[in-house]
Amino acid sequence: MTDTILVVLAASTIRLAIPLLFAALGELVSEKAGLLNLSLEGMMLAAAFGGALGCFASGSPFVGLVVALACSTLVAGLQGLFSIVLRANQIVSGIGLNIAVLGLTTIGARALFGRDAGFTIPGFGKLAIPGFSDLPFFGPVLFAQSGFVYAAPAVALLMALLLYRTTPGLALRAAGDEPRAVDKSGASIAAIRWLAILVTGLAAGLGGAVYSLADIHTFTENMTSGAGYLALAAVIFGRWRVVGTIVASLVFGAAASLQFQLPALGVDFLPPALLIMMPYVLALLAVSGLVGRQSPPRALALPFHR
Amino acid sequence: MELARILRRASTSSAGAVLIALLAGLLLMAVLAPSLPNALAAFARGAFGTTYAVGASVNRAAVLALVGLGFILAFRANLTNIGGEGQLAMGGMVAAAVALKTDVAGLPFGLAIVLPALAGACAGGLWAGLAGWLRVRRGTNEVISTLLLSFIALWLVYWSVHSDALLRQPRTSATSLPESADIPNGAMIGMLVPPMHQGIVVVILLVALVHLTMTRTVWGMRLQAIGLNAASAKRAGLSIPRLTIGAMLASGALAGLAGAFMIQGEQYNLKAGFSSGYGIDGLVVGLLARGSAPTVLVFALLFGFLRSGGIGMEIGAGVPSAVVLTLQGLVILAVAGMEFLRLRQARSLP
Repeated sequence: MTDTILVVLAASTIRLAIPLLFAALGELVSEKAGLLNLSLEGMMLAAAFGGALGCFASGSPFVGLVVALACSTLVAGLQGLFSIVLRANQIVSGIGLNIAVLGLTTIGARALFGRDAGFTIPGFGKLAIPGFSDLPFFGPVLFAQSGFVYAAPAVALLMALLLYRTTPGLALRAAGDEPRAVDKSGASIAAIRWLAILVTGLAAGLGGAVYSLADIHTFTENMTSGAGYLALAAVIFGRWRVVGTIVASLVFGAAASLQFQLPALGVDFLPPALLIMMPYVLALLAVSGLVGRQSPPRALALPFHR
Repeated sequence: MELARILRRASTSSAGAVLIALLAGLLLMAVLAPSLPNALAAFARGAFGTTYAVGASVNRAAVLALVGLGFILAFRANLTNIGGEGQLAMGGMVAAAVALKTDVAGLPFGLAIVLPALAGACAGGLWAGLAGWLRVRRGTNEVISTLLLSFIALWLVYWSVHSDALLRQPRTSATSLPESADIPNGAMIGMLVPPMHQGIVVVILLVALVHLTMTRTVWGMRLQAIGLNAASAKRAGLSIPRLTIGAMLASGALAGLAGAFMIQGEQYNLKAGFSSGYGIDGLVVGLLARGSAPTVLVFALLFGFLRSGGIGMEIGAGVPSAVVLTLQGLVILAVAGMEFLRLRQARSLP
């Protein structure tokens, strides 16, 4: 009995952590380059909507995924326009984008799918890996999930390689710490930051698409409901490192899944609200340096003026 | 020549930004509404049509003005308090708790109303003050900390109304909602013209007070000094930690008071998500006001009526009120983008 609950708990931890993981890894790349995207939430919501839209129009979840990535990258592009070209306040423009995306996707959803939330789209099913999905515990937890789960380690590896094993990655990290020095060396801060924010857009798109294409095959208003902010918190709690961000996403996923399983586990002294707010508390403790040492990129959220 | 200069200045002002966004909103409505005149009429009815509509809009404006005032006060010291939503929630929760859990309602001389409101202001102030303290002691960026504190506050409210040990109303039937009981009559703020409560009078006084504090007092000048150049302000002997925490305390207290007004003047009980959207709207009002307290009031009224109009439009003409939401997003983006034009203009001046 307890075994099944543990399996459900572990499986849903992974399922809930994956969208956060994609978005947080993407945001990590931007923050390493000195860009803070509060619009991460807007990117994810736009992708969730785009995924439903593409899938609804074509009947194919793959088309849905492409539209999802296009939508989130569009939001990322707009954020880039404000942060890099206009050198606007990154926080203010990010909040503005989030509100505009929330408004537009709500209008779009009503116009396309009507007011009843009952419509469904094909979406991606669960993909059981033959041979592995029958393993005890690990089978249902790791090998009977949606394709997004299997893509996550690859994306994480790709991000780590980009950041720490390539020349653009080196320039990117430097652009977030010492933009002036990078500029003097002849590299273009704008080009580096555009690269970073487009990577963020694509990754956040993968995360947002999970909601409408893999988790539930539909779109609801404000579907991501703060997942983007949670992913931002994961970057902070992960102390701006790839492994840290992965661990943070998993911890946040575990907290989210635990709140649904508490009654089944017979725990009633722990209020669910405490679990839901825990990620934010952890992030706050991390960013105040009360848990370990913090090291945000020094030029984070600062526009670059030559 | 003169006209060109005026036009150029208008195009980079908040009014210009709002105008551009309003035009875009009108365009959006024209696309979405079956009939634009009908939609506009429904909007006007929702915003100004009845005493109820006007009162609800003014009440909303009072809340937005307080959050906006808090924002510009902290911003004077170059502190960006984006956690108005959380400070509002804390203020409302503590005001409700004091009204419900203490015997304050029986007190004379209006103390029954004033004490919960002050408690709410203190709660909001401490919530923002915590961010100020973290900045001073741990160097934590206040943008990140106020944002995170907001989420924590919202879930604290959720917790408080879901827990029987805290503020949840007694379960009389299976349908008892997870909300607090109604606050006692004694703690309710009186009405000017129902549903408009007396809070707006206090708000107008506070607008004047904040304006005078920022422009005419030593403390206001000191805030500006650390905001403009912290290093030289420090050299001049100003205590940056004290001023930073003080600015955040005052900023959060204004938002906390707004939360108390919402509970004691309009809603009368505490629900999860009662402050939803108000904090962000107040932040936008503060941003648009560009540091001027009287302008805060103007934009608060504009947004108060916009929201009510949007709801009226949804009911009366079937246009989603999300149009108003989109419009607000566009206003913020226009303001953020304008900064660029202003900077470039400043640089191109001889």
